[in-house]
Amino acid sequence: MKDRAKYSAELLFAVYTGAALVLLAVLLLVAPPDGNNHAQFLELLGRLHPLSVHLPIALLIFLPLLEIAGRNPKFSHVQAAARFTLGVTLVGAIAAAGLGWCLARAGGYAGTTITQHMWGAVAVGALSWVCWVLRRNPARERLYLGALALAVLAASFTGYRGGQLTHGENHLTELLPSPLRNWLGVPGKEAAGSSSAVDAGTWYGAQLRPIFEQHCVTCHGPSKQKAGLRLDSFSGLMRGGKHGAVLKPGDAKSSELFRRITLPPGDEDAMPPENRRPLSPAEIAVIEQWIAGGASATQPNPGGAPTPVAGAPVEVTILEISPAAVSAERAQLASAVAQLQQKLPNVVGYESRGSAQLTVQAAWMRARFGDEQVAALAPLAERIVLADFSSTAITGHSASAMAGMKNLRTLRLMHTSTTDATVQALTSLQKLESLSLFDTQVTPAALAALARMPSLKRVYVGSTKISPASAVPQELGHKLIF
Amino acid sequence: MKERAITKFHQEAYLAAMQAQTRRHFLRSFSAGVGAIFLGSLGASDRAFAGSREAALDSTSRIDITRDPRRPLAALPPQFAAKAKRVIYLHMAGAPSQLELFEYKPQLMKFDGQDCPASLLAGKRFAFITGVPKLMGPQYPFHQVGDSGHWISDRLPYLEKHLDDLCFIKSMRTDQFNHAPAQLLVQTGNARLGYPSLGSWVVYGLGTENQNLPGFIVLISGGNMPDGGKQLWGTGFLPSVYQGVQCRSHGEPVLYLDNPPDVSSAERRNMLDALDQLNQQNYAAFGNPETVTRIAQYEMSFRMQMDATDAMDIHKEPENVHAKYGSKNGESSFANNCLVARRLAERGVRFIQLYHWGWDSHGSSAGDSLNEAFPKRCREVDQPIAALLSELKDRGMLEDTLVVWGGEFGRTSMRENRGGQMTKFTGRDHNPGAFTIWMAGGGVKPGFTLGETDELGYEIAKDPVEVRDLHATILYLLGFDHHRLNFPFQGLDQKLTGVKPSRVVGEVLA
Repeated sequence: MKDRAKYSAELLFAVYTGAALVLLAVLLLVAPPDGNNHAQFLELLGRLHPLSVHLPIALLIFLPLLEIAGRNPKFSHVQAAARFTLGVTLVGAIAAAGLGWCLARAGGYAGTTITQHMWGAVAVGALSWVCWVLRRNPARERLYLGALALAVLAASFTGYRGGQLTHGENHLTELLPSPLRNWLGVPGKEAAGSSSAVDAGTWYGAQLRPIFEQHCVTCHGPSKQKAGLRLDSFSGLMRGGKHGAVLKPGDAKSSELFRRITLPPGDEDAMPPENRRPLSPAEIAVIEQWIAGGASATQPNPGGAPTPVAGAPVEVTILEISPAAVSAERAQLASAVAQLQQKLPNVVGYESRGSAQLTVQAAWMRARFGDEQVAALAPLAERIVLADFSSTAITGHSASAMAGMKNLRTLRLMHTSTTDATVQALTSLQKLESLSLFDTQVTPAALAALARMPSLKRVYVGSTKISPASAVPQELGHKLIF
Repeated sequence: MKERAITKFHQEAYLAAMQAQTRRHFLRSFSAGVGAIFLGSLGASDRAFAGSREAALDSTSRIDITRDPRRPLAALPPQFAAKAKRVIYLHMAGAPSQLELFEYKPQLMKFDGQDCPASLLAGKRFAFITGVPKLMGPQYPFHQVGDSGHWISDRLPYLEKHLDDLCFIKSMRTDQFNHAPAQLLVQTGNARLGYPSLGSWVVYGLGTENQNLPGFIVLISGGNMPDGGKQLWGTGFLPSVYQGVQCRSHGEPVLYLDNPPDVSSAERRNMLDALDQLNQQNYAAFGNPETVTRIAQYEMSFRMQMDATDAMDIHKEPENVHAKYGSKNGESSFANNCLVARRLAERGVRFIQLYHWGWDSHGSSAGDSLNEAFPKRCREVDQPIAALLSELKDRGMLEDTLVVWGGEFGRTSMRENRGGQMTKFTGRDHNPGAFTIWMAGGGVKPGFTLGETDELGYEIAKDPVEVRDLHATILYLLGFDHHRLNFPFQGLDQKLTGVKPSRVVGEVLA
């Protein structure tokens, strides 16, 4: 009796879910996404698609695990959960697919990627349903496992297509190291999107298309055509969108596209929309000039790389620091640096918050800083890029310690008792660019050693025995500052 | 007997204190206590949050400025590797006339003495000009100098030798046309009182290496304080340990720095230790950062007794150096201050601010005229600035020392006609619409000029640069994104550059 009731409940479940799947397939046939935006209500629901889609995927991938682990007597209890999980997967897949249809229909999607994604989702639903039906009968276990494997495959395919829709065509492969990419035979980042032949010698091909590729085609391209606009080809650009043309050749100021990209970031019409990186002034200048120049597809590229117009503001980019990367880089030396900072507070510091290189500012300590302190820097010598020992009590005894600071770019020894012998020891500093010997004991005899330092750009030798009258080696010519 | 009297006195005092402790006092301190508990827990979670936030450093997050509270001036690395390590800011208080120094306008010469066209006056506010003033050509001859071919007047014969080291911005703009607010805007980013100065922000962000000298030192010459007053080097809402310390270039560098007669250094130390303990107790009880400031300042003044005197003592400089600057022992002058500035820079002081008063050339009297006072002012600054630049360059320090020169606004292309009268002396009124500054060293393009004004030098024709853009640029040169060097106050992440859009002027970067 109880079995009967259970049976009829399961039958009902199968009928309802089966009907929902059929309904979904019909919806897809009758009202496929057509690249237009439809009812806002649909889009509101559709926005829930990314939210709901991950649970059924995860459960579906988890299922084989339950089934396999369940065969082991130790884990036999988990098998009991498999049927329930399968049921939730089925319902979840249908719900996610339904919401996905809402998004595709309302959000301006069209093209093969979305079609494959949607039918893939229907396949996932249908296969889950088949699994559900087959699993009832232990005699059909093999069939069931086969269907389950297919369902997992279908879900992977569908998920990949979905990823392409949101993150770009080659989101999984574009950042692969290039040898691996070549081996797999996938196009790299550079080659991406240039499938349709565009002459890189034209102004449009060399400068405009890369800008559109980078900023626009995610929403105005093959997979999405918001407002019916495609910017992935010249013809699409010229055709415009559902509100008409976006370009007026020869007149940037009255071109809708130019108006949109130059609106202040907060404006409702501004493009790219909020939270997307806006176009740089240089890119805007390129677009402006191209439109003003007639917006031609064939006009040759006027000048090399897209460079900002003369007089345009020069943008400064500040690199983001990744704290994890910084602490990883500093891991080896952090404790040594901390110790040294304890010993010599305000003398040793990191070059910047994003750097694992060190600067040594000892000039302020004057006579309290000497050879002993220089020696204390030894464990970190190769990390030091700038050292200012001006006005300190260091002597020739520190020469070898300084020679060990192989990565020094700037070294200041002014107002010290530095002699030619020290300078001669410093020839090992291959990266040294700037050396201040102002007010030291050096003589013209040190010039030969200075001439051997490959990276040296500026040597300050004022108030020393070196004068413009000294015999200066040719390599040093303009590098000496008296 | 005496002892008993004292005991009694103690008891009475105690009783009086008890009586003074009313129910209201209790309720007040009780509620404050509850508040303190709440705030304390808030602080704790904030700190916990700060750690996790650092892990997800996004483009809007604040740079974490955390120091041992006992060492509020400790050096910290910049956000990114910086070209400039220190700043010497030469503020010409009163606003020098760009049209008599760096802005060569031959067209203005042509229209000299003619009535100013009404189009230039429409909608403009002037401090003193009334009615229709006359245009006035440059008062001193100009010539071209150096590889950069820059035009300069004959008033700065020493500085012109360094013209190829300077990076000009000739299109600076401000929205203030009176001295005090305009100086505040240039120095604090805000025309109103109560905002931290540029130097305070810099020392807050970077600290200072030399803990025996203030990180931010102010030197004043020209016979008067700048109109903006001490607020120009104030800290506003930043802890007051970051405010500028005004020093003197002759006599005691800081008044009352030395121990009073008959007080030995050891006694002084004992007294400070006792005071320190009291202050530490106070800090432990209330956690007010100003208490830390107080402790740090007592400690610093003790250490400064040695180092400041040495740093400021220009007697130690040889005669040829004095000759180079035109400085004289025992005087209070811009030349002496420039020499001191170099000595301070060598000793690791982060921000050295000089003010030279007396550039307000209205022409209302000999003392503020372009024909009498102005050449004197030029002489006072010309040789010392040139000497400072050349000494920094000789030592290699110009590589990472940023020198900034400028006033608070520009001067008009019209001759001032105070009260509608033509005065005996020549002068120009305030012009917030365009002024010139220059920078040198510390990562700026040498021999470069950004921006242009119109043919009359009156309004900006190309590449306007706001004061906040200049601030953003200076902070960038020191290794900071100006958006991220901020401080929470009154519900806003307060920044030197304020809330209006500002940018780093990339054009001037080397």
